[in-house]
Amino acid sequence: MKYQIRFTLNGEEQELYVPANYTMLRVLRDELNFMGTKEGCGAGECGACTVIADGRPVNACIVLAPEMDGMSIETVEGLAKDGRLTPLQEAFVSHAALQCGFCTPGFLMSATALLRENPHPAREEIIRAISGNLCRCTGYVRIIEAIEDAARDNGQ
Amino acid sequence: MKNFLYHKPTTLSEALSLRARYGQSAVLLAGGSDVVIQLREHLIAPEAVIDIKGIAELTGVVWDEHNLWIGAKTTMRELAEHPEVLRAYPFLADAASRVGSKQLRNRATCVGNIVNASPLCDTGTPLYALDAVVVTNAREIPICEFITFVRRTSLAADEIVTGIRVPHQNCKGEFTKISRRSEVDLSTVCATVLQAGDSYRLSFGAVAPTPLRLRETEALLNGKPLTAARIEQAAISARAEVKPISDIRASLEYRLDMVELITRRSLTNLMNGGSEA
Amino acid sequence: MDQLKHIGKSYTRSDAVNKVTGSAEYVDDIRLPRMLYAQCVRSPHAHAKILSVDTAAAWAMPGVRAVITGEEYPNRAGLYLEDRYFMAKAGDTAKYRGEAVAAVAAETPEIAQAACAAIRVEYEVLPAVTNAVEGMKADAPVIHPELGSYKVAPIFYPKPGTNISHHYVLRKGDFEVASFQADRVFTHKYYIPHVQHVPMEPHGCIARYDPDGKLTVWASCQSPYAVRQALSVAFGLPLHKIRVISQAVGGGFGAKAGTTLEGIVIPLARQCQGRPVKLVYSREDEFINAYVRQGMHATITTAMRADGKILGVHNEFIWDGGAYTEYGVNITKAGGWGSAGPYDIENVWTDSYCVYTNHPVGGPYRGFGMCEIHFAIEQNIDQIAHEMGLSEVEIRRINALCPGGHTGMGEKMDVAGYAECLEQVIRDIEYDVPSVQVSPTKIRAKGIAGGWKSPSMPTNAGSSAILRMNEDGTFFLMSSGQELGQGAATVLPQIAAEVLSVPPHMIAFVSGDTDHTPYEWQTVASRTTYCAGNACKLAAENLRDKLLDLAQIKMGAVKRDLELCDGYIVHKIYPERRIPMKDLALGITFDDGSGYGGPAIGVGTFTLENNINTDKKTGVATHHPAAFWTMGANGVEVEVDTETGHIKVLKMCSCFDAGKVINPALFCAQSEGAMVQALGTALFEELKLKDGKVLNPSFVDYKIPTADDMPELIPKFVEYAEPTGPYGARGAGEPLMVPGAPAIANAVFNAIGVRFTKMPITPEDVLNALKP
Repeated sequence: MKYQIRFTLNGEEQELYVPANYTMLRVLRDELNFMGTKEGCGAGECGACTVIADGRPVNACIVLAPEMDGMSIETVEGLAKDGRLTPLQEAFVSHAALQCGFCTPGFLMSATALLRENPHPAREEIIRAISGNLCRCTGYVRIIEAIEDAARDNGQ
Repeated sequence: MKNFLYHKPTTLSEALSLRARYGQSAVLLAGGSDVVIQLREHLIAPEAVIDIKGIAELTGVVWDEHNLWIGAKTTMRELAEHPEVLRAYPFLADAASRVGSKQLRNRATCVGNIVNASPLCDTGTPLYALDAVVVTNAREIPICEFITFVRRTSLAADEIVTGIRVPHQNCKGEFTKISRRSEVDLSTVCATVLQAGDSYRLSFGAVAPTPLRLRETEALLNGKPLTAARIEQAAISARAEVKPISDIRASLEYRLDMVELITRRSLTNLMNGGSEA
Repeated sequence: MDQLKHIGKSYTRSDAVNKVTGSAEYVDDIRLPRMLYAQCVRSPHAHAKILSVDTAAAWAMPGVRAVITGEEYPNRAGLYLEDRYFMAKAGDTAKYRGEAVAAVAAETPEIAQAACAAIRVEYEVLPAVTNAVEGMKADAPVIHPELGSYKVAPIFYPKPGTNISHHYVLRKGDFEVASFQADRVFTHKYYIPHVQHVPMEPHGCIARYDPDGKLTVWASCQSPYAVRQALSVAFGLPLHKIRVISQAVGGGFGAKAGTTLEGIVIPLARQCQGRPVKLVYSREDEFINAYVRQGMHATITTAMRADGKILGVHNEFIWDGGAYTEYGVNITKAGGWGSAGPYDIENVWTDSYCVYTNHPVGGPYRGFGMCEIHFAIEQNIDQIAHEMGLSEVEIRRINALCPGGHTGMGEKMDVAGYAECLEQVIRDIEYDVPSVQVSPTKIRAKGIAGGWKSPSMPTNAGSSAILRMNEDGTFFLMSSGQELGQGAATVLPQIAAEVLSVPPHMIAFVSGDTDHTPYEWQTVASRTTYCAGNACKLAAENLRDKLLDLAQIKMGAVKRDLELCDGYIVHKIYPERRIPMKDLALGITFDDGSGYGGPAIGVGTFTLENNINTDKKTGVATHHPAAFWTMGANGVEVEVDTETGHIKVLKMCSCFDAGKVINPALFCAQSEGAMVQALGTALFEELKLKDGKVLNPSFVDYKIPTADDMPELIPKFVEYAEPTGPYGARGAGEPLMVPGAPAIANAVFNAIGVRFTKMPITPEDVLNALKP
């Protein structure tokens, strides 16, 4: 049995029929070919699949496909508009806040959600916001600095 | 994961009739942070999943004249950020904010945490200490009686938890979580230690098959002023009252040490008049 | 040397925009038409004879397209020791818990999984070896009875009839004489458990067999050429019929060196001609079935003179190589090479044993043995200093390997920046200033440790590069030095850019395709900036030479008076005489319409010359067996909670001699990542094994550091040029991780006076040690 789901993905309306046992991550990747959202563990432990759902970061690997009905979902593909990177993406580039890049989309989504809610987070708030995103390459410091830099760009 | 039917009722009565139809072969879904993992790892293979997030009456945190009400759909994040909760029971907000990651707290619910009945559930110990009451469509059950064993509750197959009720009370104290890593980890030991007037409440997680209230230790303390000597007595008593096991996360011995330490630290903080220390 | 224009500049990463937009394509992102999905059946026993494999039920399931067993594998393969089929065979044994015994390709992952569940395997459980020291004993079950018949590279010495797949021996000087002359002799023991690399991207592979016999493999791998070679041996295929493509790799750290799951997918693809078959590891697979970092038991005996001079050391390293040691034998050797640490010691005896056990397969992990041996070496030095009443700094100063000194193997070092790195971290961590104490139950203290590493690669390991100039003056730099996150795709074009005097963004980096990008031995061993960098530099020089040949005709000037400058070919004496380089991209066209000199392509090949094996009997170097040694140190400050046992690392300072840093921002980023990875192994990480079973194959119970665990990080470098390196550069990615864990252990000792000879140092260990 398949379930009809309607949701917006990066602002565009989507309508799909999905099996109940698919996850949001599988729908994004296998049904819609949005490959920016990565599977690092499939168990909500690494944050590589972080998307923003109804304004809040969640792990797409532990949301069932039918639950997507009615949601507004944002993925990394929705950040840059018309080929222009967001200030946060720019900051990741200029700070070398990425290495292998596999965790990067997840970090960007966690940090994007944070900066919308809290345009000027303290370092501790940044750390708590990204503690659910694992990175093995960077040691995190450049990621934190990039987020701080993007926050500075938010003005006062 | 195996396939299943998905239902998203919009009223409690609709949910109850689904519950009645499927009995044991359905599982209730709220935040999904436990259920989806169990599905994925083939720990459960239900015929149907009943998503309760469409039921309006299960929404949110309500602070009324007599009670704090935590609706079944309340996420950890909502609980952790609720101004009244932060004011009256900061240790409960603290416990909710220490569950998993930010992503997880946006989905996981407090009621789900309790219904899942893990011995180390972080919101269990503050709710045990507050003598919270689990409310179903049919009855009210003290939380200590609701969780019966590891991953077992007294919830009947045709019953749905609508929320958790916490009668208003004046108390102070703190939540402590000992884990291997300070962010995004399971508790090695968690605890809430409270003072309400001249009585004390100590509850611990991950030291027995269910969260535990340390009644004997509380009796030792109740009605008497806190002194360093009494705190020492309580720490020893707490150690004797819990029944932890050794597992991959820690040994029995370490858990006992932590129970003793938390008891001592939290009571000392209370003695010194603080609760935020 | 002239002023450098592009070397030493922190250009932004060439792969950054694709990575921040989610467009970088990893193996699991590839969707091919009619793709099938693979799953494996894995042995539930640590050691068992496979009596039979019944695949009938799997074959009968709708949607199943291929089922394979060990019968598909004619030959054993392996990098240095050909000791493994990619799947255990009936009649033979499954040698670790998790070893593949059958696999299925099906229309969906769910069908493949169900089909695997339907395969019946009969086992006869055998006694298992679950401890390397036990495994060396005469009465231990022998895991590879046919060891004597395995093909092995000539620098490794298996002991047939035992579980020892390599016994590395170093006998420089005479340790016995040294201990006779010594004022004191110390023996200390250490244990380093298995850990996992934990790249964020799990291993993945897609294979497709075309009807003409061409096999194409898309693999998340560090070394496409090494994979091609292994597949060729294992399946008896000619190399021109195998194409290995490696796109974006989501972290390797050694785990994606060598060949693992590729070997499972290929026979499946062969049965499904024309249809691609994909296998992606789950995180659980990643913990169990990717290479693990080997466990190691170390015993160091040190002969000391009263003034703090080390007269001699005798090291015994026993490596828990796991079920197959095709790669592990070389880690054992590397451990021997580096066994003196960055110290000048006259008498060095080392015995390093690689031992088969029924544990997950050991393999390369960032540091290639150095993190493990330095956890021992650098604590040993502190322990000796304390026992002799010397300072930890002084004992290192006295023994530091300095220019003109000799390595443990006996190589004379003309360049050695260790002492200066040590002084830098001592200044940065303010080692002479005691930590400021903030609480009676949270004790702070500092620690230092040094470390070094050389690439433990075959002495003739080769690299090559091709540089193509386009008509508009842009370039393609083609190399199979892989971008794993370390920055190869940024640094290698920077090297070519320097030669060509063009901005690096005008050079597109192309890599990872054995049909199209030229040979590279492997992207491992911190060798890419050095080896692939040399090849890229030579390719650029070759192209420059060809352009200047043409320019002297076009410009009517002598070649020696011409140079490349900012996109132009310029006369050195009359700088106003210049032509754009791009005008020579297709050669020269004369007035009569005839052409000359053709499209501009530069070729560079690099093999380090006079890189000579050590003496077979003694292990002593007559010349330079190691391409280079990268040395450095860490200083750390920790806080130990004496009530909970938790250790918080407050600060880590690093300084390494990188020869010449091509891109300082990327170097520092590597250094930061390395320090935090080292912190993880020191405090959290251990693959917990019981009777051969991995007890914690998930992020729930195998914890790596989060942002919250990150200390203040101070990455620094010094630059003493490597004579054979491109612009003086030597590799650094791995060495940067080496001193972190022992520096933390030394700091913990300095805080609470307890020596931890095993990592990770857990809260429970701390508390137990502090109990009266």
